[in-house]
Amino acid sequence: MVNTEQITFYTHIYSPYSQRVHIALEQAKADYTPYTLNVLDKPDWYAAKVNPAGKIPAITYGGPKVSPDTPSDESVKLAESAVILEFLADLFPDAGLLPADPVARARARFFLTVVDTKGFEGFREFIFLGHAMAPLIDGYAALQALLPPAGGFALGGDALTIADMAFAPFLARTYLLLSVDLGKFPAGEGKKAYAILTSPRFARLQQYLQDVKANPYWKATWDEDTQLAMWFTNPVFRRK
Amino acid sequence: MSQQITLYTAKICPYAHRAEIALAEAKVEYTRFEIDLRNKPDWYVPKVNPVGKVPAIAYGGPTVPADQPSPESTKLVESLVLVEFIADLFPESGILPKDPVLRAKARLFVDAVSNKVSPAQAAVLIRGEDPEQLVQAYEAVQALLPPQGFAIGEFSAADIAIAPFLARIELNLANDLGGFPADQGEGPKILELLRAPKLARLQQYFKDIQARPSFATTFDKEHVLASSKRRFAELRAKKYGA
Repeated sequence: MVNTEQITFYTHIYSPYSQRVHIALEQAKADYTPYTLNVLDKPDWYAAKVNPAGKIPAITYGGPKVSPDTPSDESVKLAESAVILEFLADLFPDAGLLPADPVARARARFFLTVVDTKGFEGFREFIFLGHAMAPLIDGYAALQALLPPAGGFALGGDALTIADMAFAPFLARTYLLLSVDLGKFPAGEGKKAYAILTSPRFARLQQYLQDVKANPYWKATWDEDTQLAMWFTNPVFRRK
Repeated sequence: MSQQITLYTAKICPYAHRAEIALAEAKVEYTRFEIDLRNKPDWYVPKVNPVGKVPAIAYGGPTVPADQPSPESTKLVESLVLVEFIADLFPESGILPKDPVLRAKARLFVDAVSNKVSPAQAAVLIRGEDPEQLVQAYEAVQALLPPQGFAIGEFSAADIAIAPFLARIELNLANDLGGFPADQGEGPKILELLRAPKLARLQQYFKDIQARPSFATTFDKEHVLASSKRRFAELRAKKYGA
């Protein structure tokens, strides 16, 4: 069954959470309208009509075709990246976002839980709060340990599932930012962390990231030069 | 589906309770094994859950006694993952409806429970912080409810996520149990805030949950109360001195 309802996707390229949804929309070959939200100066209509929490990603689904900046009251509004990923998996059951087998689905969801707890906490603690790097290293060690040793993506195949879509945006930004020592941590700590994450201990994780970056749906949502330029000008990271 | 299901659980634990409600909704035969969280069997961590927590499900593999889990069964953990798993195994259970939009609404409600109710419950009932956090969490959840019925109309994973927390919050506060000092009427005072007229809709929702057989048959009030009394006596002794 083909989806014929409109999908409008509110996003910004900085956001790893938004990128999750973007990759899913691409892999599902959904017919959607992207709208880049000015996250530094959000328009009033966004919280009023799309997401009361004011955050991205969000999607509107169904209702009449309208321009993204005049959302209709008739569309369904969805927020929270993990909820949207599951919604797209339900809407596009043949897109491989989630497998059909209940055990495999449970494994994908468990992986996503670890990404959102250990993975995210380490990322935030070190890169955005400038605290010690141990939670970040430990978080990625835990996620690496969940990857099938022989290769492939989180569920072992050669196609992305929501487990990978949830993880990869954080992983890619981590390697990118740490490689240029960009973050709230003291100068030099980023490069130290990068040295650890590029050491043999993390060979499997690096292979995984390489495999992700070769994937066409990842490629459709990621421009490394643009990301780097944007993060260099992010006021959050200006160090004295 | 004819694969065996063994659930490792504990009556006191709200997370494990979610899995029990889901299995009751699915009306399936399964093996229930109670884990004493204060005295875990030594095979539990190496053979079932390395993190040592409940709930956990051992799915499939040969039929073995629950205390001799087989390496051939698949071990699954995380209460919300387990509820989705049971919904996938038994789609006719209604734990999640078929419509993608309703499924998303159920998951958004679960998200609000995780991000608002759980943290507020820990802050107020365990750490003894300002009860206003819990009032606000209840208001946030109430705002998601339809005028009648359950979170998405019919009983679903959304209600399964919150029910064990509402029940234990109510039970503990009614018995003056929490991270606040004892015998000063703190518990009942907080409960009065949660029973304010502005939270009438949520109170009705909780009544509806309590009438649901899958909840009622899996909530051993006496056992949970006895455990809570013991647990908070220890917590208070540490916090305020014996």
